[in-house]
Amino acid sequence: MAHARPIATTRSATGIPTPRLAVWWILASEVVIFGGLLGVYIMHRIGHPEWAEAASHTQTWIGAINTFVLLTSSFTCVLAHQAAEKGNGKEAAKLLGFTILGALMFLMIKSYEWTTEIIAGYTITANTFWSFYYTAAGLHALHVIAGAIIMGFIAVDAFRGRELHRVEIIGIYWHFVDVVWIFLFPLLYIAK
Amino acid sequence: MSENNEHNGEHGHDDGHHVNYFKIYLLLLVLFIISVVGPEVGEFTGLRWITLITAFGIAVVKARLVVNNFMHLAWEKRIMKWMLASSVLLMFLMVAGISPDVMNHEGNNWENVAAKAEVERGLAYAAGYSSDEAEDEGEAEVVVAAGFSAATSYGQICATCHGAAGAGDGIAGAALDPPPANFTDPAFWADPARDRDRVITVIRDGAVAVGGSALMAPWGALYTEEQLEQVADYVMSFRPDA
Repeated sequence: MAHARPIATTRSATGIPTPRLAVWWILASEVVIFGGLLGVYIMHRIGHPEWAEAASHTQTWIGAINTFVLLTSSFTCVLAHQAAEKGNGKEAAKLLGFTILGALMFLMIKSYEWTTEIIAGYTITANTFWSFYYTAAGLHALHVIAGAIIMGFIAVDAFRGRELHRVEIIGIYWHFVDVVWIFLFPLLYIAK
Repeated sequence: MSENNEHNGEHGHDDGHHVNYFKIYLLLLVLFIISVVGPEVGEFTGLRWITLITAFGIAVVKARLVVNNFMHLAWEKRIMKWMLASSVLLMFLMVAGISPDVMNHEGNNWENVAAKAEVERGLAYAAGYSSDEAEDEGEAEVVVAAGFSAATSYGQICATCHGAAGAGDGIAGAALDPPPANFTDPAFWADPARDRDRVITVIRDGAVAVGGSALMAPWGALYTEEQLEQVADYVMSFRPDA
């Protein structure tokens, strides 16, 4: 297989396999993207006591259910990695399928949540709190969508026993999406 | 090793450790429950530090568990940890650099007039809200308050059948029989019984409440009494003689 690959993907100066190095680089930049956004949110939140009123309208239980869904999807994703390590592509594909299911469930719950909020008048332009709310959760949801799509391709490959190392790569990305939500949950739902 | 097919001779980082993923998952769930229940306790007892520790302290612990055990950063080469750490450091640097300007609204030689005005406006609104609505409306109405506009609500809900300009020509209304009311038609308003109270009743309880078509559904659950009146006024603004 190696003969068909560009040299850049077959050598590694850091001792880390190139795909994994690449995904860590992506995540390092994601840390700055999400970190910057959430950092600015926290600063404004502290500077604006009146946001507490707006924040009290977020629906904590929906956020909690979604936290559970994402944690569980992370668990199935890491099990997929474990299966891939053992060379069991079919099992890995099945577990990635469960992870995608988790992503879809997350998105459906989020759609329901946003619909009720938008109908009630809490739109992205309602005030600055809601702007941050939709921007942060929306950016996160885009990552969920992207991750689920890529995971679909990788699951198909894994099912055929190909490119099993990619299961770990998408896993690292997916757990990061989970970690972002771990912080979004208390920031947007719990802190009243 | 799964990576062997493209990294010959190089072994993955997973050789030396065996994580019990299920145990980590259970631990995460326990922490998750604490992070939901803790802040409730904090609010109930009025002890803010309980909320802060259970919400944000636990979030850090959960994130660490995921990063170390699921992403395997604990077994990753050291250079990767430094790389990620520098990202986190840059983020904190940015926050530290601008936080005095954002979190304070005045300093020695400056004053952020706009921010101060917004805080004042927001707090006044929140205070008015809690004394008026919380008392007589109860929890159920809490969702409907900030940023309400009758025009926006009409556009999102009513316009699908009654049309954006109230002419009864909304997309979803085309197939209905009887057709949706045309608020711009003088004949519609000719009936003296069609006053403001009746419009409010129809929006709240549906047209069935006044002997009309069941196709005009009740929307009362979406609005407070005050908002109902605003939507009714908006509907009546389509009257040709209004």
